[in-house]
Parts: sequence; structure tokens; C-alpha cells
Amino acid sequence: MKRRQGWLFFIIFLLTFSVYLLINYPLQLGLDLQGGSQLTLQIIKEEGKVTRDELEAVNSVIDKRVNNLGVSESNLQTLGGDQLILELPGEQNPLVASRVLGKTALLEFRTQKEGTSSDLKTLQLQRLSIKELIEQYSTAEKSQNDNFLKVIQDDLKEIGQELNYSFTNDDLYGNLIEIKKYVDKEITNLFIKTDLSGKDLINAGRRQEQTNSNWEVLLTFSNSGGEKFAEITKSIAGTNQLLAIILDGESISEASVGNQFANTGITGGSATISGNFSAENARELEVQLKGGSLPLPIEIVETNTIGALLGSKNILKSLYAAISGLIFVGIFMIFNYRILGFVSVLSLLLYGFFNLALYSLIPVTLTLPGISGLILSIGMAVDANILIFERIKEELYDGNTLTRSIDSGFQRANSSIVDGHITTLLSCFVLFLLGTNFVKGFAATLGIGVLISLFTSLNCSKTILRFFTTYQSFRQKNLYLPRNNFSN
Amino acid sequence: MKYNLELIKNKKKIIGFSTFLIVLSLLGILYSSFNTSYKKPINLGMDFVGGNELRIERFCEEECSNFSPDSVLENLREISSNKNFINNIKLQFQNNNKLISIRTPYLSIEESNNLITNLDNIIGPLNYESKDSRLIGPKLGKRLLTNCITSLLVSLFVISLYITIRFDKKYALFALLALFHDLLIVFGIFSWLGILLSVEVNSLFAVSLLTIAGYSVNDTVVIFDRIRENLKSKEEGYNETIQLSVNESFRRTTFTSITTLIPLLSIILFGSYSLFWFSLALSLGIIVGSYSSILLAPSLLLKD
Repeated sequence: MKRRQGWLFFIIFLLTFSVYLLINYPLQLGLDLQGGSQLTLQIIKEEGKVTRDELEAVNSVIDKRVNNLGVSESNLQTLGGDQLILELPGEQNPLVASRVLGKTALLEFRTQKEGTSSDLKTLQLQRLSIKELIEQYSTAEKSQNDNFLKVIQDDLKEIGQELNYSFTNDDLYGNLIEIKKYVDKEITNLFIKTDLSGKDLINAGRRQEQTNSNWEVLLTFSNSGGEKFAEITKSIAGTNQLLAIILDGESISEASVGNQFANTGITGGSATISGNFSAENARELEVQLKGGSLPLPIEIVETNTIGALLGSKNILKSLYAAISGLIFVGIFMIFNYRILGFVSVLSLLLYGFFNLALYSLIPVTLTLPGISGLILSIGMAVDANILIFERIKEELYDGNTLTRSIDSGFQRANSSIVDGHITTLLSCFVLFLLGTNFVKGFAATLGIGVLISLFTSLNCSKTILRFFTTYQSFRQKNLYLPRNNFSN
Repeated sequence: MKYNLELIKNKKKIIGFSTFLIVLSLLGILYSSFNTSYKKPINLGMDFVGGNELRIERFCEEECSNFSPDSVLENLREISSNKNFINNIKLQFQNNNKLISIRTPYLSIEESNNLITNLDNIIGPLNYESKDSRLIGPKLGKRLLTNCITSLLVSLFVISLYITIRFDKKYALFALLALFHDLLIVFGIFSWLGILLSVEVNSLFAVSLLTIAGYSVNDTVVIFDRIRENLKSKEEGYNETIQLSVNESFRRTTFTSITTLIPLLSIILFGSYSLFWFSLALSLGIIVGSYSSILLAPSLLLKD
């Protein structure tokens, strides 16, 4: 009896501690409950596996970019060796993030090959007309102007013939994009790589151009980068070779270097890119350059967005489901097991508190599948109680005293309870190891639930029951057996 | 109240019934593999094949005005620049025209945003706070599928290993038979649901199969334990002892299934829609699982 009292105090202590934890450390809610976006980024590597170093390197670049973007409370984590998960809580649009994060942002400085001036001029003109065609296309498309579309089609055909290019796409838009890429590549091919690249930058910034509303991006080189830049500009100053700034294989700016730099090159360790940037584009490029280029390209393979209103609805619905589940299980137990059922309801409540407290302690981020795991484990938690209570009833029918029946009921049911839960725990374990983030939540809460239920249904209900039976008025057998059964 | 299930008398009926269910499931799986548009044993959802799913509510004064999905699609086609995906779009109105749900092939975030803006122009205003949008690339889908299949196989292997170690060979064999019976039937039911109601399965379905596996074995273990215990102590014949053990644990097994079903039913009734099919699969699994634990597995143990 002394030992049981010790347990009673221990349980009360645990309950108080749980309540304290829940008040001071509120539960972390997943995006499906609080609203927000989640992006899964896949690292692309053609051959072999992504190494740990490469993962780290990509992670750090993405992390810098996210920070520079200024999204609040974002959370970046790695998943499965070659994926990253970015969470943006609240009503933050994932579009900007996806544009900024998805680009490799490999910045190169290249000088023009000698004797390619006229080739470049033709290509530049073609690039310009393709750009115009693309703009015209979207207007024509919106107004359903078939004649206009026909004209664009013809113009495109003409450019294709000039370039000796055969199209592979069926639709007009696809062909426009295709030929744009081709021309970009041709232009880039007219330039030779130098040893100056995005790695030589120490900072990037942006400002509005004075003459018009366009923006330009400012580059600040490191010391060695500044020297390289001076060297390169010196080599082509006064010639008709141009300097191209190339981002991800596409030339975004081609400029000549004046004769006055022929002796020293452009010194001062900085440069500007003015390529008709909008404010938004300039900011995105700035963030990408500040974060550095990605060592491996990435692709955004999954985007989930949940509105805040839907999130709070989900919380409410889960709450209804959990409470009604608890109530009906409680009614079922009390109806069938009388006072024993009442004891199991008390231990279920304890079970709920301990579970939630553990979530805030570990911490477990609560998601919808997580909640369903929790609700499901309510049913499993009373499993053990039913096993024990059936045993107790059998013992009572056999004419044993109450105390004896309770003791042997708990004792004899012990092994099959632990055994029975092992398979569920095994499933949870596999799910947790192999599952996606989404699935892990379910496995975690169900697994934790089953473990805690072993404690509450074996120990807590025994302690509560022992506590009740110290009072004479709770010791009548008919409180434990339904009347019709008792008369049997 | 004593239960008296006549297991010995009904052995043939029970095994016949289970065979019938299994054949029905296999038929569904075969039909689904060859005679449907997707040609897979089960209708794989967006999680596994990639795509874009969007649900968003409209702001309506009192009643939401009626739009036919076709006219909305027609309008969308007119103002969208990418015609290709419009042909593969599925659009539905739910909740008295308030909720609109759309499925398309995979779109980039940009394209998906454009789609929402276009929708807003046609049937707006839309309540962006109620948005639920999922974009899954086809590559990730394939990966998720292999991931789910591996998880299933690994955990089935681990559970089988556990049962073989814990029980004698004969018991282990029958417990596993019951387990595969349960999984096959739930899978078959969802194959049929896919054929008849185009219900799709996503990664949560795989989770439910795994959970059913864990749970169904649990019940069988308890009954087999009882049988072993009674075979040691009781003097009745082998078959009679098995029948007696089943009747002794009948109440316990049905009760635990009921208490597990109750919370699942509350999720089905009150919970979020994204958990509906998941909870249904789990419920079906638990019902089939208790049937196989109480009636099928012990019947297999009976001697002729």
C-alpha cells in the first residue's frame, strides 16, 4: 500500500509538471494547422550520390538566400540526404522564394572572341525581336486575336530560317522559348571564360538608375577579384571586344570598355550590371549573388500552401474529433465496466496530458496526420484497460476478493499487453525511419502514444483503482460488474 | 454473458467467406490493372504521380452563384497562356458552389498562381485564407511511391520475423496468413473504390496499411496466446479448446476494436477532409482485422 501511495504522488507530480509545461511552452503547430507554405527542394546530381559536404554546401547557400530575402520565422532542414525542406509560416507567398531559390545563380565574366562583332550584332538583334515576339504573344493570346498570332508565327518562322534552326515543339509559345534559349546559348558561345566569377564577390546591392525607372545591380569584388576585373577590362579596353556578364549561361549584359582604361583597366573593385531590371528582379538577383551560386542545381519538387483560415479550421475539426472520440470511448467504458470504466477514463485524461506535455518537451510539431495518430492511440490506450478489466471480472466471477482480483488482473494481463503493442511499435518505427515528413508526424505521435499508454493503463489505472478501493463505499462488487452479468 | 461461437461447425463457411473476399479483391486489382485508364492495381493519387491540387473557397454574400464547371473551363481557356494543361484539368464545385476544387497536371508555382488569379477573375472574389494548394513534381511522386513500398515491405518483414520468433511455426504461418488476408482485402476495397468512385490513394493510404498490419497482428497474438495457455491446462479436445479460447477472448477482441473504431469514426465525421479516406481505410482494416483474428486465424488452426 505504501508503494502505491508513492506512485499516486508521482502521478500527481507528473500531471502538475505536464500542465506547467503546456502553459509555458505552447505546442508547435505544423503548417497544415497554422497556415503557410512548405517547399521541398531536390538537389540534382547527374551521376552518383549527393555527398554530405555537397548537401551542407547547398544548405548554406539556400540558408543565406532565405535570410537575405527577409522572410520571417522560416525554417530550413535537410531531408533524406538530397532534399531540403523550407517552411514559410503565415501568408508569405512562396512564389518569390521559389524564384530566388531555384536558380543556380552562377555568375561569370566573359570576354568576346576576336572577330565576332558582326555575328554578335545579328544575334543581339534577333534576341531583341524574339523578346518582342514573346511580349506580343501574351497580348495576342489574351485577346484571342488569331490574325495577330498568325503574324507572330510567321515572324518566328523567319527568324528560325535566318538561324538555320529547326523547331521541335508543337505550340507557338514553346517554340518561342526554345529559340530564345538557342540564341542565348549562341551569344554566350561568342565569349571566352575568364577566371573571374561570382566567387570573387564580397557583396551585392541594387539601386535605381538615374536616367530611367530601371534598376541596376551593384557588384563589389574582393581584393583579388578587383585585380582580376582590372586585368580583364585592361585586356579588352579600346578594342571592339565586349565584356559579358553571364548568369546561368544566359548573357544578361554586354558592354564595351572605353579606351581610357587601356593602361590600368577598371579599378576600384566594383561593377554594375544594368540590364533593364525591374525593382523585383534586381532584388532577386541581389539576394542570389549575396548567397553565392549553388554548387549543384536544385529543383523545387513540391509546394504545399495552406491558408491561415483553413489552418484554424483544421485545428477546430481535429479538436472536435478528439473530444468526441474521448467522450464516446468514455461512455462505452463506463457503460460496460462501471467504476473500472471510470478509472480508465481518468487514466485516459492523464494519458492525454502526458502526451501533449511530451510533445512540447521533445518537441513534436503537431500536424494533421500527427493528430490522427494521437486520436487513434486513444483507442489503443484503452485496449490495455479492457484486457485487464476482463481479467478482473473473470477473477471476480470466480469468487475471489476484490483486492486479489485487481492484483491478479493487472499481473496476468501484463505480458499480452506489452506483446500486443510491440507490432504496432515496430510499424511506427519503420514509418519513422523511412517515411516522409508528413508521415513521420503520424508515426511519432502514434508511437509515443502507445508507449505512454503502457504507463497510464498499467500503472496509473492501477494506482487510481487502489486509491478508490481504500474507501469502503467503493468496494461493493456490483460497482464492478454490470447487474445482468452479476446475476449469472 | 457467455459467447458461443460455433467455430468447429462453421469452419468451412468462414474459410469460404474469406476466400470469396480475397477473390473479389484480386478481381478488383486485376480489373484495375488492365481495364482502367490508369492501368495500375490501384488508383494512384497525386502523391505518387505528381500534379497540382487546389481547393479554395469563394466569398459569397448569402448563396454562391451557380457556375457550370464547363463554362469556367471555357473562360479559363480563353485567358490562360498555357493551353496545354487546361485540357487535362478537373474542376468541381462543392459545398453549395462555395468550395472549388481543381486538379491539373504538374504546374510551377508561377503557373499555379496565374491559374488562381484567372479563377479569381472568373468566379471571384476568392478567399485566399482558405486556400489549400499542393504541387508535387512527377520525380518526387515516383520517389514517394518507392519509399512507401519499401516501408511496407520492410515492416511486413520485421513483423513476420517477430511472429516467427515468438510463436511456433504453425501459429506464425496462420497469423501471417491472416495479416496478408487483411491487407489484401483493404487494398482490394480501395481498388474497387478507385474503379467505381475514382477514389485515389496517397501516401497516407500506405501509412494506414502499415498501421493495420501492426494492429491486426496484435489481436491475433492475444487470441493465439489464449489458445496456447488453454491447450496446456484444459482437458477438452484440441478443437474444443480452440473454440473455447476464441469465445473467452471474443468480448475482449471486439471491445478493443470498438474502442479503436470510435475515435476513427469521430475523425471521419468531424475531422478534416484530408483525413477522411485515411480513417476509412484504418476502420475497414480494423473491422477485417478483428474478423480474421476471431474467426479466420483460429479456424485455420482447427484439425479436420
